[in-house]
Amino acid sequence: MKSPRLSLAITIAQATGALSKALGRGSGETLPGRVLLALCPNAIELLSQSRVVILVSGTNGKTSTTKELVSQVRTVGTVVTSASGSNLTRGVAGALMQDSVFAVLEVDELHLPAVVAATNPALVLLLNLTRDQLHRMHEVKRVASRWHEMCVSADPSTLFVADVDDPFVNYAITGAASAVRVSFGGATGGRHPDGAVCPSCGRYLDWNEGRYHCECGLSNEYADHRFDGGSAGYRNFVLASVAADLVGVHNSLSNIALRTDYRGMERATEKNFAGVKARIRLTKNPASWTEALAGVTGSNVILVLNAREVDGIDTSWIWDVSYASLAGKKVVVTGERGADLAYRLHVEGVESTLVETFDQAIAIFGLGSVEVLAAYTAFFGLVNR
Amino acid sequence: MKIVRIHNELLGTYGDRGNGDVLAYRASLAGINASVIDITYRDAIPHDGDIYLLGGAEDAAQILSCNALSGGALHGAVEKGAVVLAICAGFQILGKSYFAHGQEQRGLGLLNMVTVPGPDRYVGDIKIHSELLGIDLTGFENHGGKTILGAGTESFGRVKVGSGNGDGGVDGAISGNIFGTYLHGPILARNPEFADLLLSRAHGAPVKVSDPLADRYAALRREVVK
Repeated sequence: MKSPRLSLAITIAQATGALSKALGRGSGETLPGRVLLALCPNAIELLSQSRVVILVSGTNGKTSTTKELVSQVRTVGTVVTSASGSNLTRGVAGALMQDSVFAVLEVDELHLPAVVAATNPALVLLLNLTRDQLHRMHEVKRVASRWHEMCVSADPSTLFVADVDDPFVNYAITGAASAVRVSFGGATGGRHPDGAVCPSCGRYLDWNEGRYHCECGLSNEYADHRFDGGSAGYRNFVLASVAADLVGVHNSLSNIALRTDYRGMERATEKNFAGVKARIRLTKNPASWTEALAGVTGSNVILVLNAREVDGIDTSWIWDVSYASLAGKKVVVTGERGADLAYRLHVEGVESTLVETFDQAIAIFGLGSVEVLAAYTAFFGLVNR
Repeated sequence: MKIVRIHNELLGTYGDRGNGDVLAYRASLAGINASVIDITYRDAIPHDGDIYLLGGAEDAAQILSCNALSGGALHGAVEKGAVVLAICAGFQILGKSYFAHGQEQRGLGLLNMVTVPGPDRYVGDIKIHSELLGIDLTGFENHGGKTILGAGTESFGRVKVGSGNGDGGVDGAISGNIFGTYLHGPILARNPEFADLLLSRAHGAPVKVSDPLADRYAALRREVVK
C-alpha cells in the first residue's frame, strides 16, 4: 500500500507533467519525476519495494537493450519502463509512478550505484564501459571502480549479468555476491579499445583475439554462458535474452538463434527531410561511431557533430575513430562542431563538404536517400523535428 | 622523417594520437617523406626517431608508460636533438616526479619540474599565448595535476583562458626541443603553426605548409575560445 503522502505526491507530479505537455513546455517526461522527488525524496525506494526491478546500464546500447528486455518481460507480467533515454534519477522516479509487476529501467552509468541502492533490484544488466563524455566521467576506470563498489555493497540477492569480454565490466562484478558471466568468445575487433590496463590490478593487459588473462586472475576465459561473436546490436540482444531468461521469460534463450536481423537494436530512425529519405543513427563516442561507420552501406552520408554537455564538450576523441571507410562516398559534414570533424576527415584523406545547417546538408542530396550519423543532441534534434 | 608515437594504447585516452596523424599529413604536404611508427608497451623504444609523441592517460597507464620509458632510449634520443611533444600525463612523466593513485611517482627527469595533485580537476577549453610562435593556441584540458616548474624552466605559454599548469598563469614547459603542455584537441590539429614548428625543428630547415582548411579550423577555435 502506498502511503497517502506518496499517493498525493504522485497525483501532483502527474498533473504537472500533463500541464507541461499541454502548454507545450517539453514532452512532459522528466518533469513529473522531478516533481515527485521534490515532494517525496525517497519515492524511488518506496515505489520499488513491491515489484521486480531490473536495471540496464553501460556506455552504449542502454536504450535499445532496455526496449528489447521490456518486450520480452512483458510476456510474463506488467512492465513499466523509462521514457526513451531518460536515465537519470528523475526518469527512474517518473517510470515508477504507475503500478506493475516489473520495472525495467535504463540508468546512466554514474547514477547506477545510487539507483541500485534505492531500488534493491532483482537483476542488473551491465553491457559495456568505454570512453564517453570524459569531461564528466573523467576516466573509464573511475566509472568501473564505482561499479565495483556498487557490486560489493549491493544486497546479496541482486544478480548482476555482465558481458565479461569487457574487462571494466568484468572487474566491476568481481565484487558481486551473485553474477552471471556472459562471453562472446572475445571483445569485438580483437581488443577493448580502452582496455590496455587491467582495471583490477593496474598491470598491462595483453590481448589475444579478443581474449585477456591477467596475472591477477581477471579474464574472460571463464563464463556461465558462451555465444558466438557479432555486432553490438546482436550482443545486446543476447544479453537482454539472458536477463529475460533469469527473470522467468520462457524460451528467451532458445529464441536467440531464431533472430537474424538486429537492426532493431540500433538506435536509429527513418525520416523524410525535403524529399530526401534519411536513416538517422545515434553516434556518441569512439565505440559507437566505429560501430555505426561499419554499418554504412550507401554512398551518401551526412555526419553531424555537436559538443554540448551530453555529447561530451571535448571533441578530441574524433581522432580515435577511423573514417577511412567513407573514402569515395559523398560526405557532408554539419553540426556545431562540424569543422572539427571536417578537418579530421581531411587529414585521413576523406574530403567532405562542410555546411552550417542540416537543411543545407539535405539539400545537397536532392531527392535521393542518405545515411545520417548524428551525435547525441543532434540525433534527438532531428528525431523531434 | 620518423615520427614515433609512444604507447598510444596507454597514452591515448584523450585523442592525442591525432598529433602524429597531423604531423605526417603536413609533412607529406611539404614534400617530406614521413611515417608514424606506433610503439606499444611491449616494444623497444627506437633510438633513431626524429619526433617522439606522448599523450594523455589514466593513472595506471601513466605509471606503466613511465616505467617502460625509464630504460633511457628517450633520454638518448633527446641528447641527439630529437623533438618531443608530450601532452598532459605524458608531459607530467617528463618531470622529476608526478602523482598517480594518490602517490608520488618518480618521473623521467627530462624537464626540471614536479607535478602534485591540484585542488580540483581542471576541465574545459583552454587558450594560451606562445611567445615562441607569437600566436594564441587553443585546446582542451582535462587533468587533476598541478605542475610546478623548477628554476630556469621555461613555460610553453601564458594562459589566457583555463588553468594550464594549475594556477591559471602558465601552461606547459619547453627545454631545447622538448615541448610539454596540457592542451588536448589534439593540439596540432587546432594549431597548425605549432605542427610546422615541430616539423621545422626535426627537419633542420623551415617547414611552412599551406592547408587552408587547417587554417580556417584553427582560426575558428581561436575565435570561439575566449
